[in-house]
Amino acid sequence: MPDVQALVNDFVLKLKRRKIEGSHATAKQTAEILRSVVSQHRMPYTNQAASLIDAVRAVGEQMIAANPVELAVGNIVRRVLHIIREEDLSSTTTAIEGLGLSDDDVDGDENEDHPALSAAVLAAAARSTLRAPSLQTLLEDIPVSAAAPPNSSSGGDSEGRSKSAEKSSRSRKLKHDVIEAMNELIQDIDTCHEQISEQAVEHIHQNEVILTLGRSRTVKEFLYAAKEKKRSFRVFVAEGAPRYQGHVLAKELVAKGLQTTVITDSAVFAMISRVNMVIVGAHAIMANGGVVAPVGINMVALAAQKHAVPFVVVAGSHKLCPLYPHNPEVLLNELKSPSDLLDFGEFSDCMDFGIQGGSPLLHVVNPTFDYIPPKLVSLFITDTGGHNPSYIYRLIADYYSADDLVVQGKSTS
Amino acid sequence: MWRRSASFVVDKRYYQHDELPLAMDPQNPNPNPNPNANPLSAYYLTRAEHHAVVTSDWLAQAQAAVGRHPSPPPPPETIAGGGGGKERGFGVIDEFNYWRKKPDLAEAVAAIMALAAVIRSSEATTMMELEIELKTASDTLKSWDTTSISLSAGCDLFMRYVTRTSALEYEDFDAAKRRLIERGEKFGEISLKARRTIAMLCQDFIFDGCTILVHGFSRVVLEVLKLAASNRKLFRVLCTEGRPDRTGLRFSNELSALGVPVKLLIDSAVAYAMDEVDMVFVGADGIVESGGIINMMGTYQIALVAHSMNKPVYVAAESYKFARMYPLDQKDLAPALRPIEFGVPIPPGVEVEKSARDYTPPQYLTLLFTDLGALTPSVVSDELIQLYL
Repeated sequence: MPDVQALVNDFVLKLKRRKIEGSHATAKQTAEILRSVVSQHRMPYTNQAASLIDAVRAVGEQMIAANPVELAVGNIVRRVLHIIREEDLSSTTTAIEGLGLSDDDVDGDENEDHPALSAAVLAAAARSTLRAPSLQTLLEDIPVSAAAPPNSSSGGDSEGRSKSAEKSSRSRKLKHDVIEAMNELIQDIDTCHEQISEQAVEHIHQNEVILTLGRSRTVKEFLYAAKEKKRSFRVFVAEGAPRYQGHVLAKELVAKGLQTTVITDSAVFAMISRVNMVIVGAHAIMANGGVVAPVGINMVALAAQKHAVPFVVVAGSHKLCPLYPHNPEVLLNELKSPSDLLDFGEFSDCMDFGIQGGSPLLHVVNPTFDYIPPKLVSLFITDTGGHNPSYIYRLIADYYSADDLVVQGKSTS
Repeated sequence: MWRRSASFVVDKRYYQHDELPLAMDPQNPNPNPNPNANPLSAYYLTRAEHHAVVTSDWLAQAQAAVGRHPSPPPPPETIAGGGGGKERGFGVIDEFNYWRKKPDLAEAVAAIMALAAVIRSSEATTMMELEIELKTASDTLKSWDTTSISLSAGCDLFMRYVTRTSALEYEDFDAAKRRLIERGEKFGEISLKARRTIAMLCQDFIFDGCTILVHGFSRVVLEVLKLAASNRKLFRVLCTEGRPDRTGLRFSNELSALGVPVKLLIDSAVAYAMDEVDMVFVGADGIVESGGIINMMGTYQIALVAHSMNKPVYVAAESYKFARMYPLDQKDLAPALRPIEFGVPIPPGVEVEKSARDYTPPQYLTLLFTDLGALTPSVVSDELIQLYL
């Protein structure tokens, strides 16, 4: 697998040099690299899932460490780990169920300490291990983990004892299933814009005024979709200093025949009373329902709250991050080059290191992201539909398994 | 002049409770001599035992052993033997009381242990019989102490597990019984594990140099701070006094033994100190369906102050404290009464508010740390619905 390592190194380097940016691009590339990691991985005879998970995790750690601000990388790594666990479990449970029907002895000596467990019970319990812990499984938990550690494929072991011939076919099957699921994931990342924009007509009504800030591809497609369905509405675009991506968006919208007004960022408060809905994109959605978004959006959210304007965030599910923003101002921001704000020629004479003990008087800070607390968000629109901020935990429980959050959390910090 | 609260039903119960604790006997199939036939709730007595209400004796003791951890006397090792010979109703309460005495066991755990003991001593031969027996036992337990939320939550959880779990299908009765007993007995372990899980979860949220406000004595919060201290995090703790049982004093003593800088506040100084606080950590007696918590008196006002000053309020509690209740206001709970000493005689005709706990609505809580993960308050109802629907 040297060529995979080369691919990974290349990607890591690009991440470090900020050659690849944006959650969509990074998510897609991460998924593609992990797919080749999985397909090139040599499966051992026992504990295939565990070895696959280790391989993916090793690569994942490198990629997450390369640019921790790109949360989408970590999200995809965790999604892939979850996929492996899920596929492993589904094949294990079918194997156990099959064994339980045909041969009770194997099942009996597989868990000597719990002879009372029947095959069906074990299968049901194994299924529940992947689900996020809940009150329902609280009482069932301990014996399950004692009998069948979730990571190792205990079904695979018992099967190895009985029928070793089937094993090679099973190993190929696990890999095949995982790769298939990953292909689906990559396709989901590609098509998330379409699925989100399908919902546009439900949210944008005739003659409404929409405000957005900066440029987000998801927002653009969302507005296009509403326009295509013959809705006529007006869009206010705040320019999104200092990168002024709003100008680009305004041009694109006008090209599609949308009524567009460009305003400065500082005019958001002045205009918000005329707005019916704010729609913005996001960099990441955190586990508590908070949003990491391009700088300036928190101000828009506050303005929207002040005037009770719905604040809607559109984002694909690859932006769903299972981490909590412990200290968002410090942890999840990136400071860009000050040249966006000031030309070097203008401020180079202020940076006279001779005046004040070697430190310049002028500082230029250019943060990339804002953190918007969940209480300011009215609605999330993802490819699976509209959700309340307090519902995000459920999406996260569906997409990620609890084991991966902790391990990755440790490795990233 | 005095207006009665809208929830007059509760008020009625309140007075009934005050005068005639045995008034419920007609409804209760197993009349039990409640040892606490006084206006103090059994819930409060348990708390007092576990969290060591601070008296002047205790303070003298603590002073004598400055910095040393005051180890509670080991519980008497007299096994109650399941109460098999006695009548069922008495047995379950004895068993419950035996487990309740253990300093590390929560009430819900004690309840589940007691119910497991009922299964062991049961002579039922069918699942249905066993269920009926368990139902009676759990009703007895619940009516023995109507004020404890985690007791009834523990009973409900175990009953739900026995009656509706799919894990018991396809098995013969004896095996199922054995399984239930084993599960019940493991529950103590589960609860200890839960505390550790919660402590791990919280670690990411405690950053170096932060100031944490705690209220009252909570074993989970103590575990959290213990782990943080052993992870060499630098933080400062403000402890409220926790009048009238002064559980905060006990808590501050535990913390200073760990080498954590502690500052004691009187309960009314919370708003004054809030600007230097980075987060509030509280435990909970019960988490209700709305996602709000029921906890020691004073939690509500601390949450209100923290909310108005934009400080996060974190709750650390085990998931078996999720209770199927939906209090609409403070008076919607059966009040747990406790004695309050003012040091001076109270003039005649002056009433004293003796309730030991209050209800904090979910909008004032930031996150709940449970063994199910860090949850937003709205998750609680989701979990409860999934379990009991």
